[in-house]
Order: sequence, then structure tokens, then C-alpha cells
Amino acid sequence: MRRFAVLLMAVVLFAGAMFVLSGCGSREDVVEEPIIDPTVTEETDALTGDDLPLYEQPEDVVYIEPGSSIFDDIQFDFDSYDILSMNVGTLQEISRWLTEHDDVRVMIEGHCDERGTNEYNMALGEQRALAARRYLVGLGIGASRLGTVSYGEESPLDPRTTEDAWAKNRRAHFVISE
Amino acid sequence: MIRRFHKGFTISLCLSVLLCGASVADSQVHFSVSKAFGEKVIIAVSLFDVDGGTIVAPEDVRDVLLFDLSNSGHFSLIGNTEFVDETEIDDRISGRIDFQEWAALGAEILVKGKIEGTLSEMSIEATVYDLAKGKPIFGRRYSGRHGEWRAAVHHISDDIIKQLTGEEGIAQTRIAFVSNVTGSKEIYVMDYDGENLRRITRENAIAIYPDWFRGAEDLIYTVIRDSRHETRRVHIATGTTSPVTSFPGLNAFAAPSPRGEEVVMALSRDGNPEIYRLRADGSEPRRLTFGRNTESSPCWSPDGRRIAYVSDRSGVPQIYTMNATGGSPQRLTYQGRYNTSPDWSPKGDMVTFTSKIDGVFQICTVDVESKEIVRLTAGPGDKEDPSWAKDGRHIVYSVTLKGESDLYMLDIYELEPVRLTSGAGDYLSPAWSD
Repeated sequence: MRRFAVLLMAVVLFAGAMFVLSGCGSREDVVEEPIIDPTVTEETDALTGDDLPLYEQPEDVVYIEPGSSIFDDIQFDFDSYDILSMNVGTLQEISRWLTEHDDVRVMIEGHCDERGTNEYNMALGEQRALAARRYLVGLGIGASRLGTVSYGEESPLDPRTTEDAWAKNRRAHFVISE
Repeated sequence: MIRRFHKGFTISLCLSVLLCGASVADSQVHFSVSKAFGEKVIIAVSLFDVDGGTIVAPEDVRDVLLFDLSNSGHFSLIGNTEFVDETEIDDRISGRIDFQEWAALGAEILVKGKIEGTLSEMSIEATVYDLAKGKPIFGRRYSGRHGEWRAAVHHISDDIIKQLTGEEGIAQTRIAFVSNVTGSKEIYVMDYDGENLRRITRENAIAIYPDWFRGAEDLIYTVIRDSRHETRRVHIATGTTSPVTSFPGLNAFAAPSPRGEEVVMALSRDGNPEIYRLRADGSEPRRLTFGRNTESSPCWSPDGRRIAYVSDRSGVPQIYTMNATGGSPQRLTYQGRYNTSPDWSPKGDMVTFTSKIDGVFQICTVDVESKEIVRLTAGPGDKEDPSWAKDGRHIVYSVTLKGESDLYMLDIYELEPVRLTSGAGDYLSPAWSD
């Protein structure tokens, strides 16, 4: 049931994102039929009414990534909030899109890998979000349209303890808030 | 001589003891043997008698009392419990206390007691004897509901420590912390020995960084929900919460002032993580730091005049102090390249913090005057977020090993960690109550 709800949410958000993209007219008009795994559906149908966690699902789903963003994440070096040259293209793309959609606000989430202390990572995550924000402001986006929030090490994209996972987790994530 | 105890206990000086020993009339009598620093009083705790019906087992009462006394740092226990039990049986048969026999076990102090129960209430009576003099030092009776027996025993322990050493015990303190056992991070509180664990918040989001207001009735914490930070205050007894701050960006590490009227915390509302001082309701934010680096994790000195915090102005995170009104920053740590999470000792002389040593986070203290650093922990497992008990002697911190986090208590003069939590879920960010 949990998997189904998450998947459904992802599908809804995906469709929403596609709708936004197709609205701007710059992308191919391809919206594939979302295919829901029939085995998952059957499993859901087979469940009886005593499945209590259903009530809490909407709040849990809020933190499921990706899906609520149409932009790529940008990555950071360990214990650093410097914007890397490999991410300049992504930031320019976000800036262009925001210029075309001047009624949209974006919340920039700053994230860390698990290796620093929990407390210091919360400050570091905020610095990563602020660094991305400064960069976008430098490209002409109004500061009032760009919020920041740090998740520190609280919301890893990949929970494994490998270099690959850590690299994915050190990121700024861009969420459309309005 | 009855006064109300905060959990509804009544405490009365035990009259029989008051009458039988002249020395007991003076309630401030201390133990007759004076001890040098670090030297311990040797104490024997006999199994308490049971009178009437009660669910309270004398073995459990003794276990809690032994835990409290042995972890206080002031006592060493008679190692051989068989001899203790035999001597207790001899006393019971003869109907008198054989002080010489107890002293022969090596004990200097003897604790005896009685557990009584009725349908609705229980009481625990404890009497403490000076074996060299063969006289009682003090006796007290603690009454309450059956389910409150642990609190009564903790109270007995703190009273014994106070009477014999003049120091405040920590057996009645509590520890707030974060756990994800429900699937999301929430704030919990437990007794200092890991018992009576209960959930305080129901945010269904990410609730972190709890800290106590003076009086140990309210906590402040950060919650992250819907891509926003907010600090909230919760009244533990009722679970009632109220918002404190929700500025744009970072709202974290809120620490109530010693008097409880203000908080100090990190905000990024002006574009950079900086330290701010606010009224306890979140109003009148006053910025204290003006660097271009990361300033975070503030805490108060016990007199409320200084603030310790983390700054990476040197290029890496280090511990600094400044005036509580801002200004006069001083760097405290010059060893290591990753020092965070400071907490100022209630005695004022030391700050404890987390330091990365050989790739592992360990707990250290730094002397505020001499800046001498002492390392307290070793071995694998990242130790984080140390918090002082009010005795300035014990520290609680988290240990993360193989992906699991638990809380440990440490006596900084003994350095033998005591594990406080176990089981499913992580236990993090502890804060010790006063």
C-alpha cells in the first residue's frame, strides 16, 4: 500500500511537471501513459480495511524525492559550498526558466552527506542553498523569489554509505513552491 | 515536616530515626569521614524489607539505588553481594544491626530500608547509617503511587548524595533526545538512566535539536516541514506546542538562556548563518555575529554572560566564545580541524564538544581559561552532541556505529561509558535537564 501511494504520488507529480513543461512550449510534447505495475494494484486491492498507515501517507510522501522538482540537482564537494563549474549549466537553465515564468517561486533545499556532525551539516546545507541562491540572483533572478531551507543530513537521496551515495547526497535541490 | 514533591510524592523525615539518634536532629550533618577529591565512600545497600502488598520488588529497588549511587561518582559498592545478603539475614534474625559485621565487609556507609504497600499507595523508607559511629545519619520516607517507585528511589539516591557529600545528585534529571523509531524524527524524554521513555512531539515531520528551558518543564526544538524550518516550544506534561520562530532559511540550535527568558540560536534571515539572541517567544531578534562565514551551534555560559559557538572563519569549524551581547570573540580550540557542537559546563570551567580525531568523531573538553583539551572517548563509532548534566561531571552523547545510534552517559572522571538506550531506531541529539 505504501509503495502504491508513493508511486501514485510520483506519477501525479510527474504528470504535473510535464504539464508545466509542455505549457512553456520548449519541450517535446511527449506525455507517456503512466503504467502502474498491475501486481502492485492487485496487492492493493487484496488489502483489507485494517491497513492503518494509509492515513499518514500524504505527509510522508512530501519528502519523497524526486518528483516535486523539474530541475536537476547540483552537487558539491565534501565539506564545501562552492558552486562547481560542472553545475553552471544547470543553474543557467533554471535561471532561464524562472525568467520565462516570473510568477513562480523556488525553494532551494541544501543537503549534506552523513559524514559531518549532524549540527554542522545543518549549517553547511544552508550554505549550499544560499550559494545556489546567490548564483541565481547574480543571473538576474529576484532574491524574493528564491527561498532556502537546509535539511542537513536528514534527507539523503541514497542512504548507502558509499562514495557514490555521498556524492549524490551533497546537493542543492530546487522545488517549485508556487 | 512534610513537603510536596513535584510528582505528587510526600516526603517526611522518618520519625523513628529522628528520635533514636541525636546527630540526626541536625539535618545538615555530613558523613564523619572526610574524603579527598576522587576518593570514594564505600557503601553497602541491603535488600529492603517488604511490608504489605506491593508490586515493588526489593531487588528492583536495590538495583536502581545501586545504579544511581555507583554512577554518581561518589561511591564504590561492596562488591560481594553474597556477603551483603548474609549479613542482612543475620541482622534480620537477631533483630538488630550488627555494625561491626557490616564494617568488616569494608563498608563505611549502610543503607537499609522498608517498602510498604496498600491498595492505592506505596512508600519506601530508607535509613542511612554511619558504620564507624554505629549511628543513623538520616532517614526518610517517600510515598506515592506504586508506579512511581523509580522516582522515589532516585529521590532517595539524590538525598543520600546531598547528605553525605553536599553535592547535587542527578538521579532525578531527565534527558531529551531525537528518535526516528516511528519512522519520522520526533522529540522524546526519558529518565537519566534510560527508563520511562516517552514521546513528546507528534509533528510527523523532522523534529530535531531539543533543548530544555529552566525548570525542565518545557523544551524548544526545530521542526522541518514543507521545506521550512520552524522552532517550537512544547510543554512536556501536556504536549502543548507553540511556535517560537519561523524566519526565512535556517532556524536551528535554539538554546534557552540560564534564566529561561531568552534564547540564542542560528538564523540565516540576513543571508548568512549567524548567531542571534531573541526573547523566549521569538520576538526582538538581535544579531550577535557579523562574519561572512558559518556561525552556528550557540550555547550559554552558566552565568549567561558568554556564548560558545562554532565558526569556520579559520577555514574549518572551531569553537569560539563571545560576549552574550556580541563582540569580543575568542577562539577556544586550536587542535584538530573539525570541532563542533559545544556545550558549556554548569560549573563554568569547561566546554565539551565533538572533535574529529583520526577520522572518527570523539568527545572532548576544553578548559575555558587554559584552553587545554582533554579527550574523553576513544575507539570506533562517531560520538556526537555532548550535553552536560547539572553536576558538571556527567555528559550524555550519541554513538553511531554500523548505522545505529544510541545514547551513552559518561562520568568525565571515570571514563567508563554507560549505554542508556537500545532497541530499534536511532537515538540522537541528547539534552540533559537541570
